[in-house]
Amino acid sequence: MRDMRWRKAEEKLLIAVSAMMAGITSLLLLAIIGKIAFEAFPSLTLYFLTTPEVDTPGLGQGIANAIVGTVYLSLLSVLLAIPLAIGTAIYLKKYAKDTIITRSFRFMIDVLSGTPSIVLGIFGLLFLVYYMKVVTGGFSLIAGAIALAILILPVIERASEEAIDAVPGEVEEASYALGATKWDTIRRITIPYSLSGIITGVILGIGRAAEESAVVILTAGYTQFLPSYEILPREGMLFGMKIYPFQDLVATLPISVYHTFEHSHIVPIANGFAAAFVLIIIVMLVNMLAKIVIWRGKIG
Amino acid sequence: MRSLSNFKFDSPHLLLFLCALSTAFIIAFFIGFIFYTAFPILEKEGFGFITGTTWSYSAHEYGIWLFIVGTLVMTAVTMVLAGPLSIFTAIFLAEFAPVWLTRVMRPMIELLVGIPSVIYGIFGLFVLENIFQHHIDPFLDATLGFIPIFRDTTPNSGTGILLASTVLAVMVLPTITVLSEEAIRAVPDEYKAASFALGATKCETIKKIVIPTASSGILTAVVLGMMRAMGETMAVVMLIGNTAKVPSSILDTGYAMTSKILNDIGYYVAMDEPKSSLFGIAAVLFLLEILFVGIIRIVRVRGGGGK
Repeated sequence: MRDMRWRKAEEKLLIAVSAMMAGITSLLLLAIIGKIAFEAFPSLTLYFLTTPEVDTPGLGQGIANAIVGTVYLSLLSVLLAIPLAIGTAIYLKKYAKDTIITRSFRFMIDVLSGTPSIVLGIFGLLFLVYYMKVVTGGFSLIAGAIALAILILPVIERASEEAIDAVPGEVEEASYALGATKWDTIRRITIPYSLSGIITGVILGIGRAAEESAVVILTAGYTQFLPSYEILPREGMLFGMKIYPFQDLVATLPISVYHTFEHSHIVPIANGFAAAFVLIIIVMLVNMLAKIVIWRGKIG
Repeated sequence: MRSLSNFKFDSPHLLLFLCALSTAFIIAFFIGFIFYTAFPILEKEGFGFITGTTWSYSAHEYGIWLFIVGTLVMTAVTMVLAGPLSIFTAIFLAEFAPVWLTRVMRPMIELLVGIPSVIYGIFGLFVLENIFQHHIDPFLDATLGFIPIFRDTTPNSGTGILLASTVLAVMVLPTITVLSEEAIRAVPDEYKAASFALGATKCETIKKIVIPTASSGILTAVVLGMMRAMGETMAVVMLIGNTAKVPSSILDTGYAMTSKILNDIGYYVAMDEPKSSLFGIAAVLFLLEILFVGIIRIVRVRGGGGK
């Protein structure tokens, strides 16, 4: 039996160490956000936010093109991922039997969710941008959206599976007891019950797509222009036409931020931080939306 | 009609099956495409692809040992920095912090998860680089410089392994903290109560009961953090210095596998051999990652079986 005083001291030490570490963690956080906001502040003008880069003198003086592009790209990629992700989740949870095939399928989804984004990026660059150029138009909104859809597929799939797991079994059994078929039960009981969880997954997917940079730079490219909406004839493309904005280059905020590094002598650093700040705010709002959905789902 | 709608393959079933099948196809195609494109160089270089130290497009020699070392050293330093910080923070949040403090800190930490990596990159480059060059690097060199790994070999720049790892540590910190905290909170109260009843102090309970019980969850969190650090591209390419050599100290510059791919793929995507060799790096990264996912699975099964 060790001395009581030593044991008390050991306890105090643990509290002190862990409190100190927690303190450092929070300080780091505040310092980073604070510093970015501080650096960004001088550049955050209405002109900067609402003017596409092409209408400004020099580089990196406006980010309206990037804000619009980020919204388009993340929404389109989520739209592509939703049917596959949710369909797969329902199939795995409700129809598939636990065999070696479904188990290795789950393992593959796990692998996909941990894939380094650069690996997905070069896949997109070679397959979507190069080999499929006739369809995607090279670096384009659609190529970026497909690559990002693969990236966020596991995010939405996992969230949906968890949401379906949380549906009380009694409710589904009650539905079967009333003579409902499996699909009726899924459609009228399982999906409505797990909807808030599924929506949370979708929103997290949007956030994940909005913040991604390595995949986007290799598939969507960058443009100084706002997206345009027209169909123009173009030789060498599928059906001999190019559909804007889908087969056209698209600008995104992470790339605007990256330009500060790439062209560090031309783009003012403050503008890079301002683009970064706007991006953080967008991702934060998206994540907050997810929290609100979870919270409402718990009450409702 | 009833028997028809209860038939094994009704149309919703078929539709959902097709969804799952396409997902499986996409994943298989993606993985297959990476390895298929990488195959020619792996076949040509054999095991030398991993152990070779020369990477030259003109000499047609491709060995990625230096990049592997860069990635491994960077990941190791990251975990040394982030591991204790996040696990102790998790212990504090789960066991000691008053409820109001946890309520304030958790969303803050979760917010950190949402900061895009490219922002960490420019933050490290424009804010931390200066501080590292003029204060932290000379300080480490002066106090711990007698140990070779703390020697400042590049006094004219702040970029290097330590800068990249510091930023990566901040990036993986929230992941490890949040997941470890969840694992610690999941330890049943009865276990702790039993330990207290035996007269153990809170510290002894945490050390002997809580941490061992939560260890599989904490280990999963750490491995996930490692995966994130290894796969990170944008921040690392800006901070690690990008010189292909075995770093002689943690203040030295290096070159990570992800940075090599990002820096070169734009120029060489149309040329067969260089393209294949860059996909070879991706394939090795992928294999490492599959290994980690496998480890997590085993840890989870063990942890689940032990309860």
